[in-house]
Amino acid sequence: MTISGWFVALLVLGIVPIVVLDDPLALAVWVALVIVVAALDLAMAGSPRMLALSREVAPRMRLGESVPSTLYLTNQGRRNVRAVVRDGWQPSTGATPSRAPVTIPAGERRALTTTLTPFRRGERRAAHVTVRSYGPLRLAARQATLALDGAVQVLPAFHSRKHLPSRLARLRELDGRTSVMIRGQGTEFDSLREYVRGDDVRSIDWRATARKRDVVVRTWRPERDRRIVIIVDSGRTSAARIANETRIDTAFESALLLAALATRAGDRVDLIVYDRRVRGQVRGATGADLLSRMVTVMAPIDPELIEMDWSGVPSLVRSVTNQRSLVVLMTSVDAAGAARGLLTMLPQLTLKHTVLVSSVTDPAVAAATLDRRNREAVYRAASAERARLDASRMAAAIRRVGADVVTATPTDLPPAVADRYLALKAAGRL
Amino acid sequence: MTVLTPTVRTWVRTSLFWIFAIAVALLIAVAVMVTRGAAGSGGAPLSPTNAGPVGSMAVAEVLRDQGVTVVVAATITDALKALARSDEATLLLHDSGQFLARNQLTEVTAAATHTVLVEPGFTQLRALAPVVKSAGQVSGVLQADCNVPAVVNAGTVTGGGSGYRVDDGTEGFAACLGSGDERVSLVQFAQDGRTMSVVGTVDALSNEHIAANGNAAFALTLLGATDTLVWYQPTTADLHAENAPTVGELTPDWVSSVIALLLLVFVAAAVWRGRRMGPLIIENLPVTVPASETLEGRARLYQQASARLRALDALRIGSLERIARMSGLASTATVDEVVLAAAALTGRDAGMVKDLLVDAIPVSDRDLIRLSDQLLEFERAAAHATRPA
Repeated sequence: MTISGWFVALLVLGIVPIVVLDDPLALAVWVALVIVVAALDLAMAGSPRMLALSREVAPRMRLGESVPSTLYLTNQGRRNVRAVVRDGWQPSTGATPSRAPVTIPAGERRALTTTLTPFRRGERRAAHVTVRSYGPLRLAARQATLALDGAVQVLPAFHSRKHLPSRLARLRELDGRTSVMIRGQGTEFDSLREYVRGDDVRSIDWRATARKRDVVVRTWRPERDRRIVIIVDSGRTSAARIANETRIDTAFESALLLAALATRAGDRVDLIVYDRRVRGQVRGATGADLLSRMVTVMAPIDPELIEMDWSGVPSLVRSVTNQRSLVVLMTSVDAAGAARGLLTMLPQLTLKHTVLVSSVTDPAVAAATLDRRNREAVYRAASAERARLDASRMAAAIRRVGADVVTATPTDLPPAVADRYLALKAAGRL
Repeated sequence: MTVLTPTVRTWVRTSLFWIFAIAVALLIAVAVMVTRGAAGSGGAPLSPTNAGPVGSMAVAEVLRDQGVTVVVAATITDALKALARSDEATLLLHDSGQFLARNQLTEVTAAATHTVLVEPGFTQLRALAPVVKSAGQVSGVLQADCNVPAVVNAGTVTGGGSGYRVDDGTEGFAACLGSGDERVSLVQFAQDGRTMSVVGTVDALSNEHIAANGNAAFALTLLGATDTLVWYQPTTADLHAENAPTVGELTPDWVSSVIALLLLVFVAAAVWRGRRMGPLIIENLPVTVPASETLEGRARLYQQASARLRALDALRIGSLERIARMSGLASTATVDEVVLAAAALTGRDAGMVKDLLVDAIPVSDRDLIRLSDQLLEFERAAAHATRPA
């Protein structure tokens, strides 16, 4: 049970009879009166234990969106329930309103809608519902907490999908170009069409021209059905927060954009999230199914505070495919010490595959190099320059063992990875 | 539905042990209060009815055994009555609360043949012994150093209490039990045919110390000189003599009731605001690792070690790289090539440019800041020179 502000106000009102009557007994009488009235009020309150609850909420949602969660309360008791209800969602679910008033006549059912706007990815849970049922005078209330589980899967936001249309347009430009533009190892013969002015004369197919008695040129399209293996590092370095986004979130954004683009281009994408064990993987999915499975796998994964085990990666890639493929490693290449494992492992991968290492750079570091206000700032700038030098050395070392490196700020990294993929595709290096 | 909140009955059942434990603890507390008295372990200091360490029941009882009539006076009226009953009476006046006014003090001392002022305060000294002044605290054991009978009998006296000083050039004063710096613990003098003793050694009269040194002899000689001893410790009851209305009489009756009600309101408001709307909901939070931790750490290390050259070199390497890129040099270009290109680009003296980009050694933090500013400015000039017009 509990009391309300009205109870306190009623008690304060006792000053009037005490002052007017000026009798020591007035205090005792007034307090007794208030307690009796509150006890009667409490006795007349509907029992919150007699409520039957059920909850309806969408099973999954995207981060940054809002979904309604509807709570149905059925009053199985004999008295009306005038209550304040708190639906017990976890704080990061962003449930509003957190407390809602509701009146349920005996034997009837009411619905309460709570809007969920989560600000963190993963599975957001509700554990219970607390009902505070007031008496008709609203002086005292009966309170009970009823167990009622609920969960909503909050998927990664995929903000970088805004870059997708422009990249798809570029992909289409690769299609149907004449050989002079893109002819290379990786392009394959697509079709024949009539010659128009401006086409490269070298791509005229003379045999077809002779058959058709019109000038015909060959067109080319980029290679298809290549394999892309995306490996996301979920180790300790991925927990670092850059520009209010953890590295792993940026990696997920990049992976989603790359997968969306590659699956439209006809390539097969596999995703593995790994630190010392496989935290999640998507294999053999294509089309729309691929993205939905990817976000479902990514949703509950948070970085763990353990060192990434790079030595397990080559066998992991082998287990996915034996054919030559593009392996994208989404990690961080900041300091030589932390990335030694990566460097020793890379040659094994580059022997067989095209390897792309993507890493987030901190815009704060670049800003720090230019800030030379005072003594502290100068030392900080020196330290930032040193960090940049380390990173560029690491990138150079990775390039030396035959892999490619993409580094960019959190907002720029997903499109940068997509562009590198397009460039590799155009060059036929997949 | 599974209800997580326990019903009143189950709550009582689960917390029965604690309810019982608290009840027992309260009972014990009440029992102790009743047996030991509400005053607590200490009791009133120097009270002839207090058997505790700070009381003086021992002295009073021994005096009674010796045939001295010990009268304990609670108010000034009692004290005056008791003094009036006998011709020769000693008055022990211990007014630690400074309750008596000047006229009351003179009135009560005038009735006694011998007044023992125990640890008198400022008001009492002003009224009764204007030439005696307070002189701070005394401790340790004091030796007999005058011919006052009490002191001679005692030999040594526990000195714990207050010390006094007699103004220079006053006659007829016996100042005893000195503790150096003209500070004494017993001053005795005659006034209008009555004897007045100012005693600072409070500890010597207490039950705790009465058996030590010559304290017992000192106390008995001092207080047992006459047939009657009036032991008077003024209380707040003596303040009524002024007929001034107290705060309680001035305020209306309902004030205390209102205060009690407001206390109840306070408790009720605390319950109202303090009752939680259901239990907390547990959520595992992800770790938050600021990315620039190593950057900040290294900066602090540079600063603590005053690694000026190392810091400046880091800045120079960055500048050299950017200038090399601006001037279109290969990434394999040597430092000298970059310096020459930069000098040519900005039109500055090659020696000075080399000094800035390679040679100068900063000897102070001020130097470091100056060189870093110059680097930044030089880089900007180079960028300006390479930018197409």
